[in-house]
Amino acid sequence: MANKNIEQSGFTRRKMIAGSAAAVSTLALPAYLNKATAATAIKIGIPTVITGGYAVLGSHVMRTCKLVEKMRNASGGVLGRPIEFVFKDTMGKPADAVRKCQELVERDDCRIFTGVVVSSEARAIMPKLEEWKAFFISHGNGDGQLTAKHYVDNFFRANTSAPMGARALALYLKDGKEQDYFAIGSDYAWGHSSVKAFTSQITSAGKTMVGSVFAPVGTKDYSTYITKILQSKAQGCYVALQGDEGRAFYSQAQQYGLAERVQMVTEIVAQANIRALGKDSVGLLGSSRYPFTYENDANKKFVSAFQAEYKDEIPDWSDGEQYQALDILFKAMEKADSDEAKKIVAAMEGLEVNSVKGATLMRKCDHQGENQGFIVKVTEVPGQSEPVPKILKIYSRDKITPDCRATTYSS
Amino acid sequence: MERKSKMRFWQTLFITVIAALIVPFVVPNYAMTIVVEALIWGLFAMSLDLLVGYTRLYSFGHVAAYGLGAYSSALLILHFGIPTPLVILLATGISTLIAVPIAWICTRTHGVTFAMLTLAFAQLGYAMLFKFKDITGGSNGLPGVTRPDGPFGLDFFQYRTGYYYMVLAVLIGSFLICRVIVNSPFGKALSGIRENEVKTQALGYNVRNYKWLVVVIAYMFGSLAGALYAPFAGFASPELFFWFISGTVLIMVIIGGSGTLIGPIIGGIFFLMLEHYLSEITQLWPIFFGSIFILFILFAPKGIWGIRASVLQKIKNKLSENGNASS
Amino acid sequence: METLTFLIIQSLNALSQASLLFFIASGLTLIFGIMRIINFAHGALYMLGAYIGYTLAMSTGSFVFALVVAPILVALVGLAFESSLLRRLYKRQDGGAYLMITFGLAVILDEAIKLIWGADPKGVPTPDLLQGVIIILDFPFPKYRIFLILLGISAAASVWFFLEKTRLGLLIRAVSQNSEMVSALGTDVTFIRRLVFAIGCGLAAIGGVLATPMVTAFLGMASSVVIDAFVIVIIGGMGSFLGSIIGSVLVAFVQVFGAYYVPDLALAIMYMLMLAILVLRPGGLLGKEE
Repeated sequence: MANKNIEQSGFTRRKMIAGSAAAVSTLALPAYLNKATAATAIKIGIPTVITGGYAVLGSHVMRTCKLVEKMRNASGGVLGRPIEFVFKDTMGKPADAVRKCQELVERDDCRIFTGVVVSSEARAIMPKLEEWKAFFISHGNGDGQLTAKHYVDNFFRANTSAPMGARALALYLKDGKEQDYFAIGSDYAWGHSSVKAFTSQITSAGKTMVGSVFAPVGTKDYSTYITKILQSKAQGCYVALQGDEGRAFYSQAQQYGLAERVQMVTEIVAQANIRALGKDSVGLLGSSRYPFTYENDANKKFVSAFQAEYKDEIPDWSDGEQYQALDILFKAMEKADSDEAKKIVAAMEGLEVNSVKGATLMRKCDHQGENQGFIVKVTEVPGQSEPVPKILKIYSRDKITPDCRATTYSS
Repeated sequence: MERKSKMRFWQTLFITVIAALIVPFVVPNYAMTIVVEALIWGLFAMSLDLLVGYTRLYSFGHVAAYGLGAYSSALLILHFGIPTPLVILLATGISTLIAVPIAWICTRTHGVTFAMLTLAFAQLGYAMLFKFKDITGGSNGLPGVTRPDGPFGLDFFQYRTGYYYMVLAVLIGSFLICRVIVNSPFGKALSGIRENEVKTQALGYNVRNYKWLVVVIAYMFGSLAGALYAPFAGFASPELFFWFISGTVLIMVIIGGSGTLIGPIIGGIFFLMLEHYLSEITQLWPIFFGSIFILFILFAPKGIWGIRASVLQKIKNKLSENGNASS
Repeated sequence: METLTFLIIQSLNALSQASLLFFIASGLTLIFGIMRIINFAHGALYMLGAYIGYTLAMSTGSFVFALVVAPILVALVGLAFESSLLRRLYKRQDGGAYLMITFGLAVILDEAIKLIWGADPKGVPTPDLLQGVIIILDFPFPKYRIFLILLGISAAASVWFFLEKTRLGLLIRAVSQNSEMVSALGTDVTFIRRLVFAIGCGLAAIGGVLATPMVTAFLGMASSVVIDAFVIVIIGGMGSFLGSIIGSVLVAFVQVFGAYYVPDLALAIMYMLMLAILVLRPGGLLGKEE
């Protein structure tokens, strides 16, 4: 009996040690699983949403990055070195985003980030950039405060922000016949930022904001909100809803015939939603961050390369914005002749690039990209299988970019 | 026999502790982040085991403990700059106090109703985060949480390795305390409630009070895990209050082996590692994830710790078959 | 807007929402009643119904076809899962096992749907016949929602009739109360269980198909709906079909009117309702105290 116990405990001990050794080695294992890459490749980290609620936006980021990787490496890469995108799944959660970025910095020696989808993820990553000696350029984070109250040196925003989109829209609507506006937004950072910006812009344009309401993220039934909008007797309604919420709202609004009674306007015009909504989306007026219908040389080249690679897919706003962000990033790196964060920062300040959105200037004072503003209307066009955003007016970048480190406009 | 198994326990614990102490020297620094988070999850899962494994109280809202702890410590640091170890204790204390009325209401009921009440409170907590966004930062959460030094100038936890040792100490300490609790008369009463609530009540125990207390204790250790998390990650965000986590921690307990304390710790660690590394290897990781769970249910229902127990049992049987074990 | 118009319109809003909720919740409560399984995968089945409905509607051009066939297909998927995996757990007295296995199924289904249909959302246009509005007291109200209300009422009535007034329904109710006795009396309990499980999955799928013209088919559908379904079932009383009807109506009204008057608390309202009910009646409105 006694011997049995001793043998058992010896076994247990050995098992324990063996087990711990196995556990420890599995921690180091994935490093060996990463395929060996050319030592000279420049790594760009893409902590994006691969699984989860915003997976659509993440899929856009990935497909544009892959296209760019192919195109660039075919023509010599950047700084004479091939570029390599490292994709990580953050699942849309800030904690995961920070963890993945940390691993990218420490394990993969990758210190350049873009392609972050959710504003709160960006918000969580930004304070760490200094400590990581890392650089982050936003392609699609709209929260106005990222270049205002929460500004950090190593962060640049290439894309149109929510206040900029709202501003362009308000400028256009100033001469419109609608006088009273109602607003509905997503109850989260971007939604509030967007509605606030539009409210201040539209009131200084002489219109009236008669009311606003915020729906929790994940709301599926908009009947109450639509009732509120109709009740307010407003002629126009500003919609700060994205993704799943946006589609649900527009589908249900169409069922109520809302578009016939109220002109709906928005600062996010997403092709994925237009495709899903089909006819339900026609007539939507909006400020588009990137309309693929914009005709300049750079964009024509991009769209045809995109459609050649992805079988007649239409590039969405996030595709174009990601492409512009990478374009600006690489030009800054070549100007700095370096891939170090601080050098990229210095090179990018004041940098002007003729991108797929026109001439964009990366402003020094707050690192916001000065973009043109596009006002579009979703229209059915013969020859296209789905409605497209037709450009009604373009505003120059100085008209729509806010004051430095602010979300407001003094002019 | 009793003494032998006690000795075995302490031997195993000793070896585990030694192994754990060596980990930072063997594992690359970037992996330490995951290790620390895994230990925190292990603590969180163990706290739920007190409810699920020892009292058969299935909670669907245990994330509330975690979220409360995390937000409390984040707010204390951001507003008062209190030294980190003190913050962790304070945050745990505050969360435990909040848990008292919640536990009282929830333990008025049984079974699934109890589970749904815990869920309701967790969801209310989540909603409050968005309602009082001026305090909680709303959807952005509370970034920029530091680790203030002290008391007496202590700062070993500023470094990842130092923080790891702190979390390790807390985990081991909590485990030992829980072990004392479950082996005490109080713990025996909990087992009685688990096996046959009606009979236990008939024997004169005030079942309601026992349940109430164990829920509070579970919340205490759960919020301790959350309080450890926020200063480590550097922020608190609404995802730490999301209902899905209540489901996953329940699964950690079951995969690890409920009613064993150690099992859920291992379950928590295993789960986090699995999720993290699977998502590195393949974009299809949810499919593997789901399949692994299903396989566990079908073939290893007692969880990881159960596998160990049955392997040991097989060894025991083999040894007795050979017959000549005793001299 | 006059008070009367407002009340009528909001009530109709609530009823149409209740109808959708009913399809999801009733399936869940039936499955629980008959098998004591908390089906974590219920949301994923709803989503599967939506996506299959999308494919059927797009390829045949008929919404009705999708509405009829998709639930059948989803029920088959549910049965396949039940007979291959779930069945192995019946001998065990382990609630946790069911939870985990349906959780595993939910995770796998989620990802499988993404693989098959892609990450982009899929829209299904409102069927032509149901497009447009009817004007109620000077206010537009969608025909589609009227359709939902009528469909919901008839489905609820039919299933209720089936459960209460037919022999098969009687057997089902008997099995959910005391399966051993019913089995001893000669009924094939396994068949009954399978039937109810299939019906439950089918109901969820109907909900999915009906929801697509209003929210499009998208990958986040499952998790967004599963929690609502649980809350309704708890409020109504787990296993009580009538309870799921009442729960759906109650939750819908509270959500619609609550979001109107206190939009800040829109997220919390449903839980506050559940809390209040559980404190007063721990088994739910019509459930039995466990």
